[in-house]
Amino acid sequence: MAGKLSVSVVLIGLALFALLIRIFLIQRDNAEGYSKIVLNQRQSEYESRTIPYRRGDIYDRNGSRLATSERVYIMILDPAQMRDYEAVNADGTKTRNVIEPTIAALVEKFGFDEQDLRETISNNPNSSYIRYMKNVSYDQKQEFTAYQTAKNEEYLASTDPVIGKNRIRGVWFEDNYKRSYPYNSLACSVIGFASSDGMNGSGGVEQYYNDVLTGVNGREYGYLDDEANLEKVIRPAVNGDSLVLTIDATIQNIAEKYIMQWKNGEIGSKSAACLVMNPKNGEILAMASTKTFDLNNPNTTGDYTPEEIYAFGINEAVSDYKLKNPGLTPITSKEVPDHYDREEIMKLGETIAMYQNWRNICVSDTYEPGSTQKIFTVAGALEENVISENDTFRCDGNVQLSDGVNTWKINCVNRNGHGLLDVTGGITNSCNVVMMNIAFAEKAPTFVKYQKLFGFGGYTGIDLPAEANTENLGFQTDEIGRTQLATNSFGQNFNCSMIQMAAAYCSILNGGYYYKPHVVKQILSADGALKEDVQPLLVRETVSASTCDFIKKALVETVENGTGKAAKVPGYTVGGKTGTAQKQPRAAKTYVVSFCGFAPAEDPALLCYVIVDEPKLPGEAAAHSSFASEIFSKVMAEALPALNIYPEGTDGESYQVPDLLLPAEEGDSRQTMGTGGAPEEEETLPEGVVNILTNTNGDSVYETVSADSLESETAEQASDEYIEGEDDGSELPYMLPEEAGINEPAAELPSEEETAAEEEEP
Amino acid sequence: MMPAYQNSAQYRNQPYKGQRESTAYKRAVRPQASQTQKRPVYRNEIRAQQQQQQQRQPEAVPARKAKRYYDYSLLFGVIFIFALGLLVIYSSSQYMAMLEKGDAEYYFKRQLLIGSAGLLGAVVMSFFDYRLFKNMVVSYGAYAGSCALLAITLISGLASHGKTRWLSIAGVSFQPAEVAKVGLIMLMAYYVSVHGPNMRKSKYLMRAIGFSLLPTALILKQNISSAFIVAMIAAIMIFVSIKNYAAFFGLGALALGGILGAKPLLHRVIIERGLTARPEKYWMRRIVGWAAPEIFEADAYQTMQGMYAIGSGGMTGHGLGESIQKFGKIPEVQNDMIFTIVCEEFGFIGAATLILLFFYIIYRIYKVAYNAPDVFGTMICTGVMAHLGLQVALNIAVVTMVIPNTGVTLPFISYGGSAVLITMAEIGLVLSVAHQIRTGND
Repeated sequence: MAGKLSVSVVLIGLALFALLIRIFLIQRDNAEGYSKIVLNQRQSEYESRTIPYRRGDIYDRNGSRLATSERVYIMILDPAQMRDYEAVNADGTKTRNVIEPTIAALVEKFGFDEQDLRETISNNPNSSYIRYMKNVSYDQKQEFTAYQTAKNEEYLASTDPVIGKNRIRGVWFEDNYKRSYPYNSLACSVIGFASSDGMNGSGGVEQYYNDVLTGVNGREYGYLDDEANLEKVIRPAVNGDSLVLTIDATIQNIAEKYIMQWKNGEIGSKSAACLVMNPKNGEILAMASTKTFDLNNPNTTGDYTPEEIYAFGINEAVSDYKLKNPGLTPITSKEVPDHYDREEIMKLGETIAMYQNWRNICVSDTYEPGSTQKIFTVAGALEENVISENDTFRCDGNVQLSDGVNTWKINCVNRNGHGLLDVTGGITNSCNVVMMNIAFAEKAPTFVKYQKLFGFGGYTGIDLPAEANTENLGFQTDEIGRTQLATNSFGQNFNCSMIQMAAAYCSILNGGYYYKPHVVKQILSADGALKEDVQPLLVRETVSASTCDFIKKALVETVENGTGKAAKVPGYTVGGKTGTAQKQPRAAKTYVVSFCGFAPAEDPALLCYVIVDEPKLPGEAAAHSSFASEIFSKVMAEALPALNIYPEGTDGESYQVPDLLLPAEEGDSRQTMGTGGAPEEEETLPEGVVNILTNTNGDSVYETVSADSLESETAEQASDEYIEGEDDGSELPYMLPEEAGINEPAAELPSEEETAAEEEEP
Repeated sequence: MMPAYQNSAQYRNQPYKGQRESTAYKRAVRPQASQTQKRPVYRNEIRAQQQQQQQRQPEAVPARKAKRYYDYSLLFGVIFIFALGLLVIYSSSQYMAMLEKGDAEYYFKRQLLIGSAGLLGAVVMSFFDYRLFKNMVVSYGAYAGSCALLAITLISGLASHGKTRWLSIAGVSFQPAEVAKVGLIMLMAYYVSVHGPNMRKSKYLMRAIGFSLLPTALILKQNISSAFIVAMIAAIMIFVSIKNYAAFFGLGALALGGILGAKPLLHRVIIERGLTARPEKYWMRRIVGWAAPEIFEADAYQTMQGMYAIGSGGMTGHGLGESIQKFGKIPEVQNDMIFTIVCEEFGFIGAATLILLFFYIIYRIYKVAYNAPDVFGTMICTGVMAHLGLQVALNIAVVTMVIPNTGVTLPFISYGGSAVLITMAEIGLVLSVAHQIRTGND
């Protein structure tokens, strides 16, 4: 027995010794490798975590929040932690139950699919980071956290052998932000939209000021110091700066309301846009157009019909094919259906339509401006003393230019001629003949010099993306041909953008100072402190104050007694100029009608420029600038009181400025914004506006609403200017042939197609 | 030298006789003396001892009264190792304790309380004569009682469709399997002390095996490792009580070969047959996780985390409290896996020291067993020694992946109420046996 006892103890000793050898071998062979694993595991538990920055807000000039980033959370599942915490014992029993109680809690609080949760967890047992749900609201997160705490306390306190083991763990929430636009479609093309992660902006100030709005992500990370202690470091995120726009949400809303009213009205047009500026400093107060989309949900094709989208798709497919098959001969648009099925074409077309719908008409599109240009012809001539204010010109209804073989007749708006007109009369009657004579007197170099001074043939530098550059759309040289000069003098044969025209008008209104138009007023730091106050940037001086005063008076006269009567705003002295431009190709008889005006005349506070592209009326019936003038009048009638400028003889109290209300429910449609003021419509119709009715023959007739009417104008006269070749279908040449030798070769002209294409999509 | 006493159960059963005092003393301090024939290595020591005694003899006062022996070495060894365990428990569990219980010292305090109570109980028990238990009622009662508890646990476990090792009586939860270990030791000790010389007869041998198989079977369903330990305790006690070597060594060699050979074999089969599907049964998962941890990552997760802790400790370890793996990576680190934290914090040197300490305690128990006044005492000590040795060896074998993962606690070190109390009670029994050893002179 004693011997056996000794044998037993020796055997136990040998076993322990063998195990000691085993430990020694493990440590000898694996010390380094296992140490690395241990440190890696430790560090990965404190995996450097990104702390997202908050993209800056965008406010209107009065502090309304147009774009904001809401704090949301991403729900992260951590199956590895659940497993570690379950601590399965050697015999398969669990020290705690984590997975099932956690799944139950998630299902109860978030309504997830139980099966999916279970699979997600069991398929990723070693993952510590599964993004299970995005955009968890603060309330949801708080509710779940509270529920988890309460349940875990209940489990801990429980004496039941099963319930007592339950725990809810392995769910955590990561900070994140969600971009949202409380006013949905309001000022959509000015604001633009940001990607959901707040990293990139598309369109508008979201794009142009992306660097300002974005911040720098912070990080939370752990590292192991010399003694393998875990050091935790938090580098906080730098939030993006906020923007205060010059946009006034109230005026923006008014402008959008009337643009949409026009769009949805009886006539409607291909497109229309309205630009409101402060002429004193170049601040943009509103930019509205018929192209709208919900910033919270920007992927729409807008008003494009399936046929239009299909046409876009065909064009896009041609370049798509070229891009994808660089070696092969490019296909023509007719061959597209052979290579793409309809669905593919539509898909390509929808993308293009989406981009088209996001275009900012006021900034990115160019067109021939028409008669609104006339004041610059006059201003330049006056400034250079080529003409004096009291000079008179005779209008016989047209000017004939001849190369000896062919004769071109450039018509005035009134084919019978205006007779004898002074300079003011030339503007008020929008007389092409007067303008051509002034331009001829002025001569091309002076004309071009002033065109450039007023910013045509270039770009304004507005702080919005994709501004149209009109350098190649006219005025390439100081010397332009005679026909070119003739037509340019009343705003044809060169292109400009709305913002260019409006900025040039502003310089006349403020006494000759050309300010860079801009939409951002201030940059605020993330905590709201003023970081940068954007001062009006004086680009150059255009013409003298006396010239400006003369022009202003002429513009007031134009609205009072001239072609701009439809633009009158009751209670205010309004000035402005109409414009009716015939689009290329001339034979198509399509028109861009416009009105650029201001009020009050004594001290212009607002400039409002409205264009209506291709009113949906046949032929010359569409050539009525009054469409634009009416919109101008309605917008101004509401916008001026909104700026506390009340009609003469009233005080502010009798005026009700329509409230700019947030949509009742977020995610509601944009219509709420677009037609919000509709009930006011009848009352706000100013006197002197014509209602347009269609008679039984389909022709437009004009019915005056008030005594102060346009009755003297015939239907033909309402088209205040256009040109006509002697032969139908023939286009006006750039210059007369006898001039060809001394002028620029025609080859450098923008080709007809280019110009036409540019106009196609205003 | 003393062939007459060798393996003589009769001798030990006889009441102590005064004229033998010097021999008894010698046995108490130098039990190896009895083995000198087989292990000549001790001869020098014995001789040195004798010389020492001869030198002392002129000064020695002849004993008038027999002195009782008290094994302070064992007691303080246990206290020391328990204190070390407390330190490691505190270091390893504070993180999870804070997280889970809101009190970093939760496990430490409970272990301190239960362990101290157990130690106190062991000391008190050591002053009682263990032979109080040497009767049929107590031995069979302890055995039958523990088997009854096991049966209740098994039935309640089956009734609730779950597996439970715990039984709760009057609000106190404990593992009946731990109680059964003591019950079996008591019964086997009594049985051997009664039937000593007849143990080799198959009738008595079979009966003894039968006694050990009943609790083994009752535990097996819930706790394979405890069942294995119970069976092994019985096997070692039977081994000590009979003369046969061949059968045991045969079985032992088979087991050792099985353990060492199974892993490479299984690994090969899994790789070659592409058996990568996770088995349904938990014990099979443990085995495949052990045999091919690189394939069954989820099943080997716990033990691999322990291996990382052991390996990263190196020769000297990171230092007390510097474990990294204790931060949630090793589940229930204060329980079965605590040895890995010892390795991580104290390195190979710490692990070797702890293993030596365990061996010292086992060695002390062996000495008490050797010198126990009767067979009953010897067998009790043998059982306790077997129990401790098995627990320590199996625990370390699990964490070093020598055998598949089974839940075996490390005595005195691992956290756990009933296991600590039972181990302390066993130490109390051993101390009680030691206290009955009479030494001739002081």
